[in-house]
Amino acid sequence: MWASLSPLAADLVLVIGALSLLIVDLVLPHGEKKVLGYGTAGVFIAGLLATFLLDLSGEALGGAYVGDGMALLVKRIVYAGGFIAVLGSLDYGERHWPLRQGEYYQLMLYSVLGMGLLGGVEDLILLAVAFELMGVPLYVMAAFARKDKLAVEGALKLYLTGAVSSAATLYGFSLIFGAAQSTRLQDIAVAASSAPSPILWLGASAALAGMGFKLGVVPFHMWVPDTYRGTSPPFVAFLAVGPKVAGIAAVARLFLHGETALLDGVAPFALLLVWSTIIVGNWMAVPQTSARRLLAYSGVGHMGLVLLGVVAGTHTALAAVMFYGAGYLVTTAGAFLVVSALTDEQGSDELDRFAGLAQKSPFLAFAMLVFLLSLGGIPFVVGFWAKLYLFLGAWGAGFAWSVVLGAMASVVGLFYYLRVARTMYMDEPDAQGISVDMGTQFAIVLCLVFVVGMGVVPQPFVAIAEEAASALLRP
Amino acid sequence: MIHWVLTVAAVLFALGIYGVSTRKNAVGILLSVELMANAVNLNLVGFGMRAGDSAHVFVLFAIALTVAEVVVGLALVVLLYRTRKNVLIDLASELRG
Repeated sequence: MWASLSPLAADLVLVIGALSLLIVDLVLPHGEKKVLGYGTAGVFIAGLLATFLLDLSGEALGGAYVGDGMALLVKRIVYAGGFIAVLGSLDYGERHWPLRQGEYYQLMLYSVLGMGLLGGVEDLILLAVAFELMGVPLYVMAAFARKDKLAVEGALKLYLTGAVSSAATLYGFSLIFGAAQSTRLQDIAVAASSAPSPILWLGASAALAGMGFKLGVVPFHMWVPDTYRGTSPPFVAFLAVGPKVAGIAAVARLFLHGETALLDGVAPFALLLVWSTIIVGNWMAVPQTSARRLLAYSGVGHMGLVLLGVVAGTHTALAAVMFYGAGYLVTTAGAFLVVSALTDEQGSDELDRFAGLAQKSPFLAFAMLVFLLSLGGIPFVVGFWAKLYLFLGAWGAGFAWSVVLGAMASVVGLFYYLRVARTMYMDEPDAQGISVDMGTQFAIVLCLVFVVGMGVVPQPFVAIAEEAASALLRP
Repeated sequence: MIHWVLTVAAVLFALGIYGVSTRKNAVGILLSVELMANAVNLNLVGFGMRAGDSAHVFVLFAIALTVAEVVVGLALVVLLYRTRKNVLIDLASELRG
Protein backbone atom coordinates (compact mmCIF):
# COMPACT_ATOMS: atom_id res chain seq x y z
CA MET A 1 0.00 0.00 0.00
CA TRP A 2 2.80 2.43 0.87
CA ALA A 3 4.52 1.72 -2.41
CA SER A 4 1.46 3.00 -4.28
CA LEU A 5 1.55 6.25 -2.30
CA SER A 6 5.21 7.02 -2.99
CA PRO A 7 4.48 9.38 -5.96
CA LEU A 8 2.42 11.41 -3.49
CA ALA A 9 5.23 11.73 -0.91
CA ALA A 10 5.56 15.51 -1.39
CA ASP A 11 1.80 15.94 -0.99
CA LEU A 12 1.91 13.83 2.16
CA VAL A 13 4.59 16.15 3.54
CA LEU A 14 2.10 19.00 3.12
CA VAL A 15 -0.75 17.03 4.70
CA ILE A 16 1.34 15.97 7.70
CA GLY A 17 2.71 19.51 8.05
CA ALA A 18 -0.79 21.01 7.94
CA LEU A 19 -2.16 18.60 10.53
CA SER A 20 0.82 19.14 12.85
CA LEU A 21 0.37 22.91 12.60
CA LEU A 22 -3.30 22.43 13.45
CA ILE A 23 -2.31 20.80 16.73
CA VAL A 24 0.48 23.30 17.44
CA ASP A 25 -2.07 26.10 16.89
CA LEU A 26 -4.20 24.66 19.73
CA VAL A 27 -1.42 24.80 22.33
CA LEU A 28 0.26 28.05 21.27
CA PRO A 29 -0.59 30.97 23.56
CA HIS A 30 -2.09 34.13 22.04
CA GLY A 31 0.58 36.49 20.75
CA GLU A 32 2.89 33.77 19.54
CA LYS A 33 0.86 32.62 16.55
CA LYS A 34 3.37 34.13 14.17
CA VAL A 35 5.44 30.98 14.65
CA LEU A 36 2.80 29.15 12.60
CA GLY A 37 3.76 31.26 9.60
CA TYR A 38 7.39 30.22 9.90
CA GLY A 39 6.22 26.63 10.33
CA THR A 40 4.15 26.85 7.14
CA ALA A 41 7.10 28.28 5.23
CA GLY A 42 9.12 25.34 6.56
CA VAL A 43 6.47 22.88 5.36
CA PHE A 44 6.63 24.35 1.85
CA ILE A 45 10.43 24.08 1.90
CA ALA A 46 10.14 20.47 3.09
CA GLY A 47 7.68 19.76 0.26
CA LEU A 48 10.05 21.36 -2.25
CA LEU A 49 12.97 19.30 -0.90
CA ALA A 50 10.83 16.17 -1.21
CA THR A 51 10.28 16.90 -4.92
CA PHE A 52 14.05 17.10 -5.41
CA LEU A 53 15.26 14.32 -3.10
CA LEU A 54 12.59 11.61 -3.36
CA ASP A 55 11.62 9.52 -6.34
CA LEU A 56 8.08 10.64 -7.10
CA SER A 57 7.62 8.76 -10.37
CA GLY A 58 5.04 6.07 -10.95
CA GLU A 59 1.28 5.68 -10.56
CA ALA A 60 -0.71 6.21 -7.42
CA LEU A 61 -4.32 5.87 -6.29
CA GLY A 62 -4.96 3.03 -8.73
CA GLY A 63 -3.74 5.02 -11.69
CA ALA A 64 -5.78 8.15 -10.98
CA TYR A 65 -2.59 10.09 -10.33
CA VAL A 66 0.69 9.77 -12.17
CA GLY A 67 3.98 11.31 -11.01
CA ASP A 68 5.44 12.36 -14.37
CA GLY A 69 7.52 15.40 -15.30
CA MET A 70 4.44 17.61 -15.55
CA ALA A 71 3.30 16.68 -12.05
CA LEU A 72 6.77 17.32 -10.65
CA LEU A 73 7.16 20.72 -12.30
CA VAL A 74 3.70 21.93 -11.25
CA LYS A 75 4.38 20.83 -7.67
CA ARG A 76 7.65 22.75 -7.57
CA ILE A 77 6.07 25.87 -9.06
CA VAL A 78 3.07 25.97 -6.73
CA TYR A 79 5.06 25.07 -3.60
CA ALA A 80 7.45 27.90 -4.39
CA GLY A 81 4.40 30.15 -4.92
CA GLY A 82 3.05 29.07 -1.54
CA PHE A 83 6.39 29.80 0.12
CA ILE A 84 6.53 33.29 -1.39
CA ALA A 85 2.93 33.98 -0.36
CA VAL A 86 3.57 32.88 3.23
CA LEU A 87 6.58 35.20 3.48
CA GLY A 88 4.43 38.06 2.19
CA SER A 89 1.64 37.36 4.73
CA LEU A 90 3.77 36.92 7.86
CA ASP A 91 3.72 40.53 8.98
CA TYR A 92 0.30 41.38 7.52
CA GLY A 93 -1.36 38.42 9.20
CA GLU A 94 0.23 39.24 12.55
CA ARG A 95 -1.23 42.75 12.41
CA HIS A 96 -4.65 42.10 10.86
CA TRP A 97 -5.77 38.68 12.12
CA PRO A 98 -3.33 37.82 14.93
CA LEU A 99 -5.44 35.04 16.46
CA ARG A 100 -6.55 33.45 13.21
CA GLN A 101 -3.15 33.13 11.56
CA GLY A 102 -3.17 29.37 12.08
CA GLU A 103 -6.40 28.97 10.11
CA TYR A 104 -5.11 31.17 7.32
CA TYR A 105 -1.97 29.08 6.84
CA GLN A 106 -3.96 25.84 7.15
CA LEU A 107 -6.19 26.90 4.30
CA MET A 108 -3.18 27.98 2.26
CA LEU A 109 -1.57 24.56 2.71
CA TYR A 110 -4.74 22.73 1.64
CA SER A 111 -5.17 24.96 -1.39
CA VAL A 112 -1.56 24.36 -2.46
CA LEU A 113 -2.09 20.64 -1.88
CA GLY A 114 -4.93 20.73 -4.41
CA MET A 115 -2.81 22.69 -6.88
CA GLY A 116 0.04 20.20 -6.53
CA LEU A 117 -2.30 17.31 -7.31
CA LEU A 118 -3.67 19.01 -10.43
CA GLY A 119 -0.34 18.63 -12.23
CA GLY A 120 -0.59 14.85 -12.25
CA VAL A 121 -4.30 13.99 -12.45
CA GLU A 122 -5.23 11.13 -14.75
CA ASP A 123 -8.83 10.74 -13.71
CA LEU A 124 -11.91 12.98 -14.00
CA ILE A 125 -12.98 12.39 -10.40
CA LEU A 126 -9.57 13.28 -8.97
CA LEU A 127 -9.48 16.29 -11.29
CA ALA A 128 -12.80 17.52 -9.89
CA VAL A 129 -11.74 16.89 -6.29
CA ALA A 130 -8.32 18.54 -6.67
CA PHE A 131 -9.89 21.55 -8.42
CA GLU A 132 -12.28 22.04 -5.50
CA LEU A 133 -9.54 21.44 -2.94
CA MET A 134 -7.66 24.26 -4.59
CA GLY A 135 -10.70 26.54 -4.86
CA VAL A 136 -12.73 26.23 -1.65
CA PRO A 137 -9.94 27.40 0.74
CA LEU A 138 -9.43 30.42 -1.51
CA TYR A 139 -13.02 31.58 -0.88
CA VAL A 140 -12.46 31.49 2.88
CA MET A 141 -9.04 33.17 2.67
CA ALA A 142 -10.49 35.94 0.50
CA ALA A 143 -12.99 36.79 3.26
CA PHE A 144 -10.41 36.74 6.04
CA ALA A 145 -10.64 40.49 6.63
CA ARG A 146 -14.21 39.90 7.75
CA LYS A 147 -15.00 43.46 8.89
CA ASP A 148 -13.88 44.95 5.59
CA LYS A 149 -16.86 45.52 3.30
CA LEU A 150 -14.81 45.49 0.09
CA ALA A 151 -13.06 42.27 1.07
CA VAL A 152 -16.31 40.46 1.85
CA GLU A 153 -17.86 41.59 -1.42
CA GLY A 154 -14.73 40.58 -3.31
CA ALA A 155 -14.80 37.19 -1.60
CA LEU A 156 -18.49 36.68 -2.41
CA LYS A 157 -17.89 37.52 -6.05
CA LEU A 158 -14.99 35.08 -6.14
CA TYR A 159 -17.23 32.51 -4.50
CA LEU A 160 -20.34 32.96 -6.64
CA THR A 161 -18.47 32.91 -9.93
CA GLY A 162 -16.37 30.04 -8.60
CA ALA A 163 -19.42 28.01 -7.59
CA VAL A 164 -21.16 28.60 -10.91
CA SER A 165 -17.98 27.66 -12.77
CA SER A 166 -17.56 24.51 -10.66
CA ALA A 167 -21.12 23.51 -11.51
CA ALA A 168 -20.44 24.14 -15.21
CA THR A 169 -17.17 22.19 -15.04
CA LEU A 170 -18.85 19.25 -13.31
CA TYR A 171 -21.72 19.35 -15.83
CA GLY A 172 -19.11 19.17 -18.57
CA PHE A 173 -17.34 16.31 -16.80
CA SER A 174 -20.60 14.39 -16.45
CA LEU A 175 -21.27 14.68 -20.20
CA ILE A 176 -17.68 13.74 -21.07
CA PHE A 177 -17.97 10.76 -18.76
CA GLY A 178 -21.27 9.72 -20.31
CA ALA A 179 -19.90 9.91 -23.83
CA ALA A 180 -16.58 8.19 -23.09
CA GLN A 181 -17.99 5.70 -20.53
CA SER A 182 -14.82 6.12 -18.47
CA THR A 183 -13.31 8.54 -15.99
CA ARG A 184 -9.73 7.94 -17.16
CA LEU A 185 -8.32 10.86 -19.16
CA GLN A 186 -6.48 8.38 -21.40
CA ASP A 187 -9.73 6.59 -22.33
CA ILE A 188 -11.48 9.93 -22.84
CA ALA A 189 -8.76 11.07 -25.26
CA VAL A 190 -9.13 7.81 -27.19
CA ALA A 191 -12.91 8.15 -27.28
CA ALA A 192 -12.54 11.71 -28.57
CA SER A 193 -10.81 10.43 -31.69
CA SER A 194 -12.47 7.03 -32.17
CA ALA A 195 -16.06 7.84 -31.24
CA PRO A 196 -16.63 11.58 -31.21
CA SER A 197 -20.18 12.65 -30.40
CA PRO A 198 -22.02 15.94 -29.91
CA ILE A 199 -22.43 15.12 -26.22
CA LEU A 200 -18.66 14.81 -25.84
CA TRP A 201 -18.02 18.16 -27.50
CA LEU A 202 -20.77 19.84 -25.47
CA GLY A 203 -19.21 18.44 -22.32
CA ALA A 204 -15.72 19.51 -23.33
CA SER A 205 -16.97 23.05 -24.07
CA ALA A 206 -18.74 23.29 -20.69
CA ALA A 207 -15.63 22.00 -18.92
CA LEU A 208 -13.41 24.45 -20.77
CA ALA A 209 -15.75 27.35 -19.96
CA GLY A 210 -15.92 26.32 -16.30
CA MET A 211 -12.18 25.97 -15.94
CA GLY A 212 -11.74 29.22 -17.90
CA PHE A 213 -13.76 30.97 -15.18
CA LYS A 214 -11.12 30.02 -12.62
CA LEU A 215 -8.31 31.14 -14.89
CA GLY A 216 -10.03 34.45 -15.56
CA VAL A 217 -10.47 33.92 -19.28
CA VAL A 218 -12.72 36.44 -21.08
CA PRO A 219 -15.80 36.47 -21.01
CA PHE A 220 -15.54 34.86 -17.56
CA HIS A 221 -13.06 37.35 -16.13
CA MET A 222 -15.43 39.81 -14.41
CA TRP A 223 -14.59 38.67 -10.89
CA VAL A 224 -10.82 39.14 -11.32
CA PRO A 225 -10.40 42.93 -10.93
CA ASP A 226 -13.00 43.28 -8.16
CA THR A 227 -11.62 40.42 -6.13
CA TYR A 228 -8.01 41.55 -6.56
CA ARG A 229 -9.01 45.09 -5.58
CA GLY A 230 -11.13 44.15 -2.58
CA THR A 231 -9.32 41.34 -0.78
CA SER A 232 -6.22 41.70 1.37
CA PRO A 233 -3.08 42.51 -0.67
CA PRO A 234 -0.78 39.60 0.37
CA PHE A 235 -3.60 37.16 -0.38
CA VAL A 236 -3.77 38.48 -3.94
CA ALA A 237 -0.09 37.58 -4.37
CA PHE A 238 -1.24 34.01 -3.64
CA LEU A 239 -4.52 34.01 -5.58
CA ALA A 240 -3.06 35.58 -8.71
CA VAL A 241 -0.37 32.98 -9.39
CA GLY A 242 -0.60 29.43 -8.01
CA PRO A 243 -4.20 28.70 -9.02
CA LYS A 244 -3.53 29.99 -12.55
CA VAL A 245 -0.49 27.77 -13.09
CA ALA A 246 -2.21 24.72 -11.61
CA GLY A 247 -5.40 25.48 -13.56
CA ILE A 248 -3.60 25.74 -16.87
CA ALA A 249 -1.78 22.47 -16.14
CA ALA A 250 -5.14 20.82 -15.45
CA VAL A 251 -6.58 22.19 -18.70
CA ALA A 252 -3.54 20.86 -20.56
CA ARG A 253 -3.88 17.42 -18.95
CA LEU A 254 -7.57 17.16 -19.76
CA PHE A 255 -7.47 18.54 -23.28
CA LEU A 256 -4.05 17.50 -24.59
CA HIS A 257 -3.52 13.85 -23.97
CA GLY A 258 -1.10 12.04 -26.21
CA GLU A 259 -1.68 11.70 -29.92
CA THR A 260 -5.44 11.84 -29.60
CA ALA A 261 -6.88 14.82 -27.88
CA LEU A 262 -10.11 16.18 -26.57
CA LEU A 263 -8.98 19.59 -27.80
CA ASP A 264 -9.70 18.98 -31.49
CA GLY A 265 -13.46 19.35 -31.25
CA VAL A 266 -13.40 22.48 -29.11
CA ALA A 267 -10.43 24.20 -30.79
CA PRO A 268 -12.53 26.93 -32.50
CA PHE A 269 -14.28 27.75 -29.21
CA ALA A 270 -10.94 27.75 -27.36
CA LEU A 271 -9.36 30.00 -29.98
CA LEU A 272 -12.28 32.42 -29.62
CA LEU A 273 -11.61 32.53 -25.86
CA VAL A 274 -7.90 33.15 -26.54
CA TRP A 275 -8.54 36.07 -28.89
CA SER A 276 -11.14 37.75 -26.68
CA THR A 277 -8.96 37.27 -23.60
CA ILE A 278 -5.86 38.81 -25.17
CA ILE A 279 -7.82 41.76 -26.57
CA VAL A 280 -10.08 42.54 -23.60
CA GLY A 281 -7.39 41.96 -20.94
CA ASN A 282 -4.93 44.38 -22.48
CA TRP A 283 -7.57 46.86 -23.63
CA MET A 284 -9.19 47.15 -20.22
CA ALA A 285 -5.83 47.47 -18.42
CA VAL A 286 -5.03 50.77 -20.15
CA PRO A 287 -7.51 53.12 -18.36
CA GLN A 288 -7.12 51.56 -14.87
CA THR A 289 -5.99 53.85 -12.06
CA SER A 290 -5.66 51.20 -9.35
CA ALA A 291 -2.46 49.15 -9.41
CA ARG A 292 -4.21 45.94 -8.44
CA ARG A 293 -6.93 46.35 -11.07
CA LEU A 294 -4.26 47.13 -13.67
CA LEU A 295 -2.30 44.00 -12.77
CA ALA A 296 -5.57 42.04 -12.69
CA TYR A 297 -6.47 42.98 -16.27
CA SER A 298 -2.90 42.53 -17.46
CA GLY A 299 -2.97 39.10 -15.80
CA VAL A 300 -6.12 38.28 -17.77
CA GLY A 301 -4.22 39.22 -20.94
CA HIS A 302 -1.34 36.93 -19.95
CA MET A 303 -3.78 34.06 -19.39
CA GLY A 304 -4.91 34.55 -22.99
CA LEU A 305 -1.34 34.01 -24.19
CA VAL A 306 -0.90 30.95 -21.97
CA LEU A 307 -4.14 29.47 -23.26
CA LEU A 308 -2.93 30.13 -26.80
CA GLY A 309 0.01 27.85 -26.05
CA VAL A 310 -2.34 25.09 -24.90
CA VAL A 311 -4.59 25.53 -27.94
CA ALA A 312 -1.54 25.31 -30.23
CA GLY A 313 -1.18 21.84 -28.77
CA THR A 314 2.36 20.95 -29.83
CA HIS A 315 5.19 19.80 -27.62
CA THR A 316 7.14 23.06 -28.07
CA ALA A 317 4.09 25.17 -27.30
CA LEU A 318 3.23 23.18 -24.18
CA ALA A 319 6.83 23.47 -22.94
CA ALA A 320 6.58 27.21 -23.53
CA VAL A 321 3.34 27.28 -21.53
CA MET A 322 5.03 25.62 -18.55
CA PHE A 323 7.99 28.00 -18.78
CA TYR A 324 5.58 30.93 -19.07
CA GLY A 325 3.72 29.66 -16.01
CA ALA A 326 6.88 29.56 -13.90
CA GLY A 327 7.97 33.00 -15.10
CA TYR A 328 4.48 34.43 -14.64
CA LEU A 329 4.42 33.11 -11.07
CA VAL A 330 7.62 34.80 -9.88
CA THR A 331 6.93 38.01 -11.79
CA THR A 332 3.31 38.49 -10.77
CA ALA A 333 3.83 37.37 -7.17
CA GLY A 334 6.69 39.89 -6.91
CA ALA A 335 4.65 42.71 -8.45
CA PHE A 336 1.70 42.07 -6.15
CA LEU A 337 4.01 41.96 -3.13
CA VAL A 338 5.40 45.39 -4.02
CA VAL A 339 1.85 46.70 -4.43
CA SER A 340 0.96 45.00 -1.15
CA ALA A 341 3.80 46.74 0.72
CA LEU A 342 2.79 50.07 -0.78
CA THR A 343 -0.94 49.62 -0.15
CA ASP A 344 -0.35 48.54 3.41
CA GLU A 345 1.69 51.66 4.13
CA GLN A 346 -0.51 54.21 2.35
CA GLY A 347 -3.96 52.67 2.53
CA SER A 348 -4.53 52.91 -1.21
CA ASP A 349 -3.17 51.32 -4.35
CA GLU A 350 -4.04 54.17 -6.72
CA LEU A 351 -1.31 54.66 -9.30
CA ASP A 352 -0.59 58.22 -8.15
CA ARG A 353 0.58 56.66 -4.88
CA PHE A 354 3.53 55.33 -6.87
CA ALA A 355 4.70 58.88 -7.55
CA GLY A 356 8.37 59.28 -6.68
CA LEU A 357 8.64 55.78 -5.26
CA ALA A 358 12.22 55.71 -6.57
CA GLN A 359 13.15 58.36 -4.00
CA LYS A 360 11.02 57.02 -1.15
CA SER A 361 12.15 53.43 -1.49
CA PRO A 362 14.70 52.73 -4.23
CA PHE A 363 14.48 49.00 -3.51
CA LEU A 364 10.71 48.75 -4.06
CA ALA A 365 10.89 50.96 -7.14
CA PHE A 366 13.69 48.91 -8.70
CA ALA A 367 11.95 45.63 -7.94
CA MET A 368 8.68 46.91 -9.41
CA LEU A 369 10.54 48.16 -12.50
CA VAL A 370 12.07 44.72 -13.09
CA PHE A 371 8.69 43.00 -12.63
CA LEU A 372 6.99 45.46 -14.98
CA LEU A 373 9.70 44.95 -17.61
CA SER A 374 9.26 41.20 -17.24
CA LEU A 375 5.48 41.47 -17.63
CA GLY A 376 6.04 43.67 -20.66
CA GLY A 377 8.50 41.22 -22.20
CA ILE A 378 11.79 43.16 -22.28
CA PRO A 379 15.02 41.15 -22.84
CA PHE A 380 17.18 39.91 -19.94
CA VAL A 381 14.20 39.24 -17.71
CA VAL A 382 12.11 36.09 -17.79
CA GLY A 383 9.05 37.65 -19.45
CA PHE A 384 10.93 38.13 -22.70
CA TRP A 385 11.92 34.47 -23.10
CA ALA A 386 8.51 33.31 -21.95
CA LYS A 387 6.79 35.39 -24.64
CA LEU A 388 9.38 34.48 -27.28
CA TYR A 389 9.11 30.72 -26.70
CA LEU A 390 5.35 30.92 -26.58
CA PHE A 391 5.14 32.86 -29.84
CA LEU A 392 7.63 30.50 -31.51
CA GLY A 393 5.64 27.50 -30.32
CA ALA A 394 2.30 28.91 -31.49
CA TRP A 395 3.82 30.08 -34.80
CA GLY A 396 5.24 26.61 -35.40
CA ALA A 397 1.80 25.11 -34.84
CA GLY A 398 0.31 27.43 -37.49
CA PHE A 399 -1.31 30.07 -35.32
CA ALA A 400 0.40 32.97 -37.08
CA TRP A 401 -2.49 35.43 -36.73
CA SER A 402 -2.84 34.76 -33.03
CA VAL A 403 0.89 35.39 -32.62
CA VAL A 404 0.55 38.72 -34.43
CA LEU A 405 -2.35 39.62 -32.16
CA GLY A 406 -0.36 38.59 -29.09
CA ALA A 407 2.63 40.65 -30.19
CA MET A 408 0.41 43.69 -30.76
CA ALA A 409 -1.16 43.21 -27.33
CA SER A 410 2.36 43.07 -25.84
CA VAL A 411 3.09 46.50 -27.29
CA VAL A 412 -0.10 47.83 -25.69
CA GLY A 413 1.04 46.15 -22.48
CA LEU A 414 4.38 47.94 -22.57
CA PHE A 415 2.48 51.21 -22.73
CA TYR A 416 0.62 50.76 -19.46
CA TYR A 417 3.50 49.04 -17.67
CA LEU A 418 5.90 51.83 -18.55
CA ARG A 419 3.33 54.40 -17.46
CA VAL A 420 3.63 52.99 -13.94
CA ALA A 421 7.45 53.00 -14.25
CA ARG A 422 7.38 56.64 -15.32
CA THR A 423 5.22 57.58 -12.32
CA MET A 424 7.71 55.87 -10.02
CA TYR A 425 10.82 57.47 -11.46
CA MET A 426 9.77 60.83 -12.90
CA ASP A 427 7.06 62.20 -10.63
CA GLU A 428 7.72 64.07 -7.39
CA PRO A 429 7.13 62.11 -4.19
CA ASP A 430 5.05 63.22 -1.24
CA ALA A 431 6.75 63.27 2.12
CA GLN A 432 5.97 59.77 3.39
CA GLY A 433 8.71 57.18 3.57
CA ILE A 434 8.02 53.49 3.11
CA SER A 435 9.08 50.68 5.41
CA VAL A 436 8.79 47.08 4.29
CA ASP A 437 8.78 44.14 6.69
CA MET A 438 11.54 41.54 6.44
CA GLY A 439 9.34 38.69 5.17
CA THR A 440 7.96 40.68 2.25
CA GLN A 441 11.40 42.03 1.47
CA PHE A 442 12.89 38.56 1.38
CA ALA A 443 10.03 37.29 -0.83
CA ILE A 444 10.50 40.19 -3.25
CA VAL A 445 14.25 39.53 -3.43
CA LEU A 446 13.53 35.85 -4.09
CA CYS A 447 11.18 36.77 -6.95
CA LEU A 448 13.78 39.22 -8.30
CA VAL A 449 16.48 36.53 -8.29
CA PHE A 450 14.31 34.16 -10.29
CA VAL A 451 13.00 36.80 -12.69
CA VAL A 452 16.52 37.92 -13.54
CA GLY A 453 18.06 34.43 -13.26
CA MET A 454 15.53 32.85 -15.61
CA GLY A 455 15.99 35.83 -17.91
CA VAL A 456 19.78 35.59 -18.12
CA VAL A 457 20.14 31.79 -18.23
CA PRO A 458 16.82 30.41 -19.44
CA GLN A 459 18.18 27.14 -20.88
CA PRO A 460 18.06 24.92 -17.76
CA PHE A 461 14.53 26.06 -16.97
CA VAL A 462 13.43 25.51 -20.57
CA ALA A 463 14.90 22.00 -20.41
CA ILE A 464 12.80 21.24 -17.33
CA ALA A 465 9.69 22.65 -19.02
CA GLU A 466 10.35 20.51 -22.11
CA GLU A 467 10.67 17.43 -19.97
CA ALA A 468 7.36 18.29 -18.33
CA ALA A 469 5.68 18.71 -21.72
CA SER A 470 7.00 15.30 -22.79
CA ALA A 471 4.72 13.78 -20.16
CA LEU A 472 1.71 14.59 -22.34
CA LEU A 473 2.96 15.07 -25.89
CA ARG A 474 5.75 13.56 -27.96
CA PRO A 475 8.46 16.07 -28.95
CA MET B 1 -34.63 6.52 -21.93
CA ILE B 2 -31.24 8.14 -21.34
CA HIS B 3 -32.27 11.00 -23.59
CA TRP B 4 -35.11 11.94 -21.28
CA VAL B 5 -32.78 12.02 -18.31
CA LEU B 6 -30.31 14.20 -20.20
CA THR B 7 -33.08 16.53 -21.32
CA VAL B 8 -34.43 17.01 -17.81
CA ALA B 9 -30.89 17.61 -16.55
CA ALA B 10 -30.24 20.15 -19.30
CA VAL B 11 -33.46 21.99 -18.42
CA LEU B 12 -32.47 22.01 -14.74
CA PHE B 13 -29.04 23.34 -15.65
CA ALA B 14 -30.51 26.07 -17.84
CA LEU B 15 -32.94 27.04 -15.03
CA GLY B 16 -29.96 27.28 -12.70
CA ILE B 17 -28.10 29.58 -15.08
CA TYR B 18 -31.24 31.69 -15.50
CA GLY B 19 -31.57 31.95 -11.72
CA VAL B 20 -27.92 32.87 -11.21
CA SER B 21 -28.14 35.68 -13.74
CA THR B 22 -31.48 37.15 -12.64
CA ARG B 23 -31.65 36.66 -8.85
CA LYS B 24 -30.66 39.60 -6.64
CA ASN B 25 -30.69 37.69 -3.36
CA ALA B 26 -27.43 35.87 -2.63
CA VAL B 27 -29.35 32.94 -1.12
CA GLY B 28 -31.40 32.73 -4.31
CA ILE B 29 -28.21 32.57 -6.34
CA LEU B 30 -26.95 29.76 -4.12
CA LEU B 31 -30.21 27.88 -4.66
CA SER B 32 -29.75 28.28 -8.42
CA VAL B 33 -26.22 26.90 -8.14
CA GLU B 34 -27.73 23.91 -6.33
CA LEU B 35 -30.07 23.36 -9.29
CA MET B 36 -27.04 23.29 -11.60
CA ALA B 37 -25.29 20.83 -9.30
CA ASN B 38 -28.36 18.60 -9.28
CA ALA B 39 -28.36 18.61 -13.07
CA VAL B 40 -24.84 17.17 -12.84
CA ASN B 41 -25.96 14.46 -10.42
CA LEU B 42 -28.95 13.56 -12.55
CA ASN B 43 -26.71 13.29 -15.60
CA LEU B 44 -24.30 11.00 -13.81
CA VAL B 45 -27.02 8.75 -12.42
CA GLY B 46 -28.56 8.59 -15.89
CA PHE B 47 -25.26 7.54 -17.43
CA GLY B 48 -24.89 5.06 -14.59
CA MET B 49 -27.63 2.97 -16.19
CA ARG B 50 -25.06 2.02 -18.83
CA ALA B 51 -21.67 2.76 -17.28
CA GLY B 52 -22.38 1.14 -13.92
CA ASP B 53 -20.45 1.61 -10.72
CA SER B 54 -17.97 4.30 -11.69
CA ALA B 55 -20.91 6.66 -12.35
CA HIS B 56 -22.26 6.02 -8.87
CA VAL B 57 -18.86 6.71 -7.32
CA PHE B 58 -18.63 9.90 -9.35
CA VAL B 59 -22.06 11.04 -8.20
CA LEU B 60 -21.14 10.59 -4.53
CA PHE B 61 -18.01 12.66 -5.04
CA ALA B 62 -19.98 15.33 -6.91
CA ILE B 63 -22.51 15.59 -4.06
CA ALA B 64 -19.74 15.87 -1.45
CA LEU B 65 -17.95 18.58 -3.45
CA THR B 66 -21.14 20.60 -3.86
CA VAL B 67 -21.93 20.36 -0.15
CA ALA B 68 -18.44 21.55 0.83
CA GLU B 69 -18.80 24.49 -1.52
CA VAL B 70 -22.28 25.52 -0.40
CA VAL B 71 -21.27 25.45 3.28
CA VAL B 72 -18.58 28.04 2.56
CA GLY B 73 -21.04 30.01 0.46
CA LEU B 74 -23.63 30.25 3.22
CA ALA B 75 -20.93 31.39 5.66
CA LEU B 76 -19.96 34.12 3.22
CA VAL B 77 -23.60 35.21 2.89
CA VAL B 78 -23.80 35.51 6.70
CA LEU B 79 -20.64 37.61 6.59
CA LEU B 80 -22.14 39.81 3.87
CA TYR B 81 -25.23 40.30 6.01
CA ARG B 82 -23.09 41.38 8.97
CA THR B 83 -21.21 44.00 6.96
CA ARG B 84 -24.15 45.34 4.92
CA LYS B 85 -27.37 44.33 6.72
CA ASN B 86 -28.71 42.84 3.50
CA VAL B 87 -27.79 40.01 1.17
CA LEU B 88 -28.71 41.62 -2.12
CA ILE B 89 -26.07 41.38 -4.79
CA ASP B 90 -26.55 42.28 -8.42
CA LEU B 91 -24.07 40.05 -10.18
CA ALA B 92 -24.93 41.33 -13.62
CA SER B 93 -24.16 44.98 -12.88
CA GLU B 94 -21.66 44.73 -10.01
CA LEU B 95 -19.43 42.30 -11.83
CA ARG B 96 -18.93 44.57 -14.78
CA GLY B 97 -15.31 45.05 -13.74
